[in-house]
Amino acid sequence: MRLPSLKSRRLVSALMFAGAALIAGALIGACTSDDDDQQAQAVEQQQQVMQQQQDQPQAQVSGEPRGNTIQLVQDRGTLKCGVKQTQPLFGNRDADGNVTGFDIEFCKAIAAAVLKDADAVEYVDASDASTRFELLADGQIDILIRTTTITSSRDMELDVDFAQTTFYTGQGFAVRKDSGINSTSDMANAAICVQTGTTTEQNVADHFTDIGLNYEPTGGLSQDVAAAFFEGRCDVLTADASDLASRIVVRDDADDYQILPQIISKEPLAPGVRDYDSDWKDVVNWVVHGLIRAEEIGLTQANVAAMAANPPNTEVARLLGVPFEGGSVSTLGFDAVDAQFIQRAITAVGNYGEIYEREIGDAIERDCTLNALARPLPSEAVDCGPGEGGILYALPYR
Amino acid sequence: MSDQPPIPRPEQIPLPPAPGQRRIVLPPHRQRSRRPRSVRIREWVRKNLFPSRNGTLLTLVAGAILAGILVGVAYFVFVSANWEVITHNRWLLFAGGFPQGEAWRLWVSIAIVFTLIGTAYGTWSSMGRRDHLFVALVGAFVIFLMAHGGAAAWSTIYFLIAVACLYGGYLFTVRLPRETSTLRTWQQRIVGGLLALSLPIVLVILLFGGEVGPRHIDGFVLNLILAPVGIVGGIVLGIPLAMGRASSMKTISWTCTAYIEIVRGAPLLGWLFVALFILDDIIGGDLIIRAMVVMAVFTGAYMAEYIRGALQALPRGQYEAAQAVGLTQTQRTRLIIMPQALRISIPPMVGQAISIWKDTTLVSVILPLRELKGNADSAIAQFEFTPDRIEAYVFVSVIFWIVAFMMSRISQRVERAQGIGER
Repeated sequence: MRLPSLKSRRLVSALMFAGAALIAGALIGACTSDDDDQQAQAVEQQQQVMQQQQDQPQAQVSGEPRGNTIQLVQDRGTLKCGVKQTQPLFGNRDADGNVTGFDIEFCKAIAAAVLKDADAVEYVDASDASTRFELLADGQIDILIRTTTITSSRDMELDVDFAQTTFYTGQGFAVRKDSGINSTSDMANAAICVQTGTTTEQNVADHFTDIGLNYEPTGGLSQDVAAAFFEGRCDVLTADASDLASRIVVRDDADDYQILPQIISKEPLAPGVRDYDSDWKDVVNWVVHGLIRAEEIGLTQANVAAMAANPPNTEVARLLGVPFEGGSVSTLGFDAVDAQFIQRAITAVGNYGEIYEREIGDAIERDCTLNALARPLPSEAVDCGPGEGGILYALPYR
Repeated sequence: MSDQPPIPRPEQIPLPPAPGQRRIVLPPHRQRSRRPRSVRIREWVRKNLFPSRNGTLLTLVAGAILAGILVGVAYFVFVSANWEVITHNRWLLFAGGFPQGEAWRLWVSIAIVFTLIGTAYGTWSSMGRRDHLFVALVGAFVIFLMAHGGAAAWSTIYFLIAVACLYGGYLFTVRLPRETSTLRTWQQRIVGGLLALSLPIVLVILLFGGEVGPRHIDGFVLNLILAPVGIVGGIVLGIPLAMGRASSMKTISWTCTAYIEIVRGAPLLGWLFVALFILDDIIGGDLIIRAMVVMAVFTGAYMAEYIRGALQALPRGQYEAAQAVGLTQTQRTRLIIMPQALRISIPPMVGQAISIWKDTTLVSVILPLRELKGNADSAIAQFEFTPDRIEAYVFVSVIFWIVAFMMSRISQRVERAQGIGER
């Protein structure tokens, strides 16, 4: 058995050949699809949508139609929900391995609306921030509900379209109470713990440029920077105010820390869907609005069945998709999603306020924050009632 | 491996008796055992810890540092750490989303693997005091973990049954005669065959039937499945690749070389991206299956190079002698070349195996799969445990170390049993 002496020229050509074969294989593979029924249907639908869009050259040029996600989800029978599994309160896992959190409740609500089964969700781990949008664009998830901020660049440049915001937060600062820091103007040359590679880091840099002060950034992952702050390795911790609150409130020495009232950025967290699939986005949007509206008019998980049986007014009847006093049933809804989809969502997870109380109410104050109902309107808010004084404002359902 | 007699170190040369003193001079290896234990200990301490002024200084400084570290570790482990984050999340860390009603599948798999490890140990090696101590320590660790915080008692019982299987298999085989005989050959063949079969059997038990499917593989179980699939698949791919690269047929040689160089040239992280976004369209299937394929393909390229190195290290005489006695090419490879080549390549292959074992954590960094480290991240994201991240990471490191250490110990046994370094 002679060991061959490879001439480098041959090696290079062999490598190039193999590389070309690999790329060709990948391209062929990407263009063909399995003879799987669902996928074949999806392709068929895509072709139909493409044909429909022949008249609209604009849409065809700027984006490839993604087919009909509602149909895809219903054919599959499960909703593939991309969630974070490492975010306190919003998306993580319990001791039994179940995925839980504020974001997860919205996955359940959408599954209940579209599939009539809140448990028909396949949670796909989208904890990795760098691949989350690719998972969505690649079709490995149907929806991304993972504390994702709507920004213009994401909306314009990526294959993602954002639905109604589910949680409003903003970047805040936590300090030790005895530090004497009351606002960012006291933070000259302070050591600030900030998560690297995020908009958080950019926001704080922008802010300090604006106010003309220097600071010393200390970077790392989100859990790491929080730990560094609590170990006293920096003076200030900056992150989303909700994240700060949840990390402080569990500590034995929570009273030693405070979150400054100053908020330097807007972070609206919203579900993401693929671009060019407005029916699917509509469903997601109206589930969120429906849950907020349910809170506004006092529909709860407990009373929704009774209300559906005997609706007090036309609006409740319309929202729940039931006839009012023998009248006809509202025709609102989608071809594939019947008029009772909001009723099912409320039955599955309760209204927005109930979700909030259950998942994050213990840790993050709600009254008089952005995530409370817009009542009284923010401009006139002096004393907020329970769950009031925010900007949650459901669009009219009619 | 030279044939020269070892040069005795100065302290091994027996001193001549001092004049006027009657002393029996024993050969060096007998000397120590004759003296009383206390003297030997004192001697050892003086010679090894306080040999000179500088040596004493060094011992004291090192001792102080070591003591400081030990005290710090002990304080952390027994006083400051909140281990509830681990005990509360036992199931999450171990199997995550695996249906709890199907937990028997895990226990049956563990029992099968333990039995085979015991049997293999009994067949080719024997357990020393240190091995028993290791089993006892790890067993105590696991039982403590399961008993603490009100876990179901049955899980402890199942674990004890699995350990009993380990010792049952060991005690049964270790008493069988070791002399070369037909019976012994068959024993080795059967145990070897069962070892080879155990991986597919366990995979079938864990992946199919009932409520379980590939997407339920989660937590530590995912590491425990990915690594062996990567290692075994890597060896299975590596042998033909190594032979192919060394082949005189250019097409085969080029293809194998291209495979090895392309796969080795990119990091595992990159290949996992391929599994996520490209293999999706090519081979489809569950992501975990694609991850297994990538692990095996990646390891295969490395294993092939280790085996090729071993093939080149074999003396030419071996090839020629095999040819001279009239063996065919297949017989040469099967009987003469491969057994020796595989034996030589055990140490680097074990190194690669340990490396791939640790690399299994990459799947939860890149892929939407959650293994032990990923689930530890989820555990510390639980609201009440957010301050306890160091505990979680220390636990994960200890678990990884235990398995890596076991792999290293077993490979040492295999090497000894195969007579590596004695040739």
